Amino acid sequence: MTLLAVTRLELRRLLVRPLGWIIAALALAELGWRFALLLQIFLLNQVRLAALPDGPGYTDLVAVRMDSSFITGSPLPFGVIELALLVVPLLTMSTLASERSAGTLPLLFASGLSSAQILLGKYLAVLIWLALWLLLALAIPVSLAHGATLDWGKLAAATLGTFLALAVLGAIGVACSAFASHPAVAAVAALMLGLALNCINLGAQMAGVSNGFLNWLAMSTHQETLLRGLVSSADIVWFLLAIAVALALGVRRLAADRERG
Amino acid sequence: MNAPKPALPPVLQLEKVTRRRAGRTAVRDLDLSLQRGQVLGLLGVNGAGKSTTLAMIAGALRPDGGSILLQGQDFLEQPELARQAIGWLPEAAPLWPELTVCEHLEAHGRLRGMPRADLTRARDAILERLELKDISRRLAGVLSQGQRQRLGLACALLHRPALLVLDEPANALDPVQVVALRSLLRELAANGTAVILSTHQLAEVTAVCDRVAILHEGTLRYDAPLPADQHAALEKTFFDIAMAGRAQAA
Repeated sequence: MTLLAVTRLELRRLLVRPLGWIIAALALAELGWRFALLLQIFLLNQVRLAALPDGPGYTDLVAVRMDSSFITGSPLPFGVIELALLVVPLLTMSTLASERSAGTLPLLFASGLSSAQILLGKYLAVLIWLALWLLLALAIPVSLAHGATLDWGKLAAATLGTFLALAVLGAIGVACSAFASHPAVAAVAALMLGLALNCINLGAQMAGVSNGFLNWLAMSTHQETLLRGLVSSADIVWFLLAIAVALALGVRRLAADRERG
Repeated sequence: MNAPKPALPPVLQLEKVTRRRAGRTAVRDLDLSLQRGQVLGLLGVNGAGKSTTLAMIAGALRPDGGSILLQGQDFLEQPELARQAIGWLPEAAPLWPELTVCEHLEAHGRLRGMPRADLTRARDAILERLELKDISRRLAGVLSQGQRQRLGLACALLHRPALLVLDEPANALDPVQVVALRSLLRELAANGTAVILSTHQLAEVTAVCDRVAILHEGTLRYDAPLPADQHAALEKTFFDIAMAGRAQAA
């Protein structure tokens, strides 16, 4: 299937470029440091927490807090989501913008692939890379599973939420790359859009509004529910809708490229 | 008595193909057809519409009007036909700098839907044929211009297309490689591949083409078998058309 041929080509390009490896290594190092700090805080408070009825445990205070500082209210910087706001644009910036600047995009058009197949093939490659990255990040708190009591259901919901957020950011990144002539422009645009989508409701929250349109529009609103362990179909639909809108815009732009030449 | 065999449709047939680019008509009402085993040289001054025409034939660009038939089938309706039937070498041989020579061929083969065993066989054969074997593990980003051009040609030829579309294929090749390219094109034509090549080199056309078409300001001004006295006659025809166009513009 030629869509998979595009995915394979893009994965190969991602794997041979040093940027992907450097980003992954630095991000995982930061997450390792974050894990050590979260664990230290947890151990310091363990006795006090054990005395509380239904007090938070290792899953709430360490494993889920690895995913986000912003949403979980953790005082430490850069959970997976905050890192992804920077990592994903850097990863996706070259998917189509560099094809355009190197002149290889017409080669893909000439191989009989539709604009949707090209874009989806590339998106799938980005998604595979992000899933592997998330798995490695997840392995850090899970490595203590034999010595701690993990709430697997809550962790699965939180991981699903984080993966969906990565998928949205990936779709935005690929779409920005489809629009931009240069990878750097695509990265900046994806970073700005990702930031805006994540905290567009900050003002509304400060004003005490928690159920308006801006809150619905913000990714953090939907992710928060999943990080609390609640899987709601309304939230899942929001993520799928955001992915579909971003990819549809990217496909439209690629099709216009093919028409314009 | 055997019934006469039905005539095969032309490999390529363009009917009234028109394409506008940047507010002007780059190609206007172009009619052109190409039979199996024919080598057509497409000539024209810069901006005549050659590269636009080739990009449309290769399926990279959609015409605004007209139809393109590939082996009798409208490939604007079925763009996947291009996957198997056309090999395209665009001008300046665009490559992915982070992939090796071998990886390029494999990626192109997969994009064209080649089965794995065929792909491996075809890859090894083309590496040998175009003398790329020694640099098969080298990254495309560090290749010389001539090596890039040969790799681009290898990618276009890998899936044994019925129609080969070449835009300035002799660019950056040394004289020895130019001779090898000519011999390769003649060999492909003898095996039934139709070839359409755009070039500024009249000598290139007289050396390998059996037909020549001249585009000027997006319209086809000349389309005929190559004159018997070849180079001089072609040169005269080309300059007559090009200079007449310039005189009109002045």
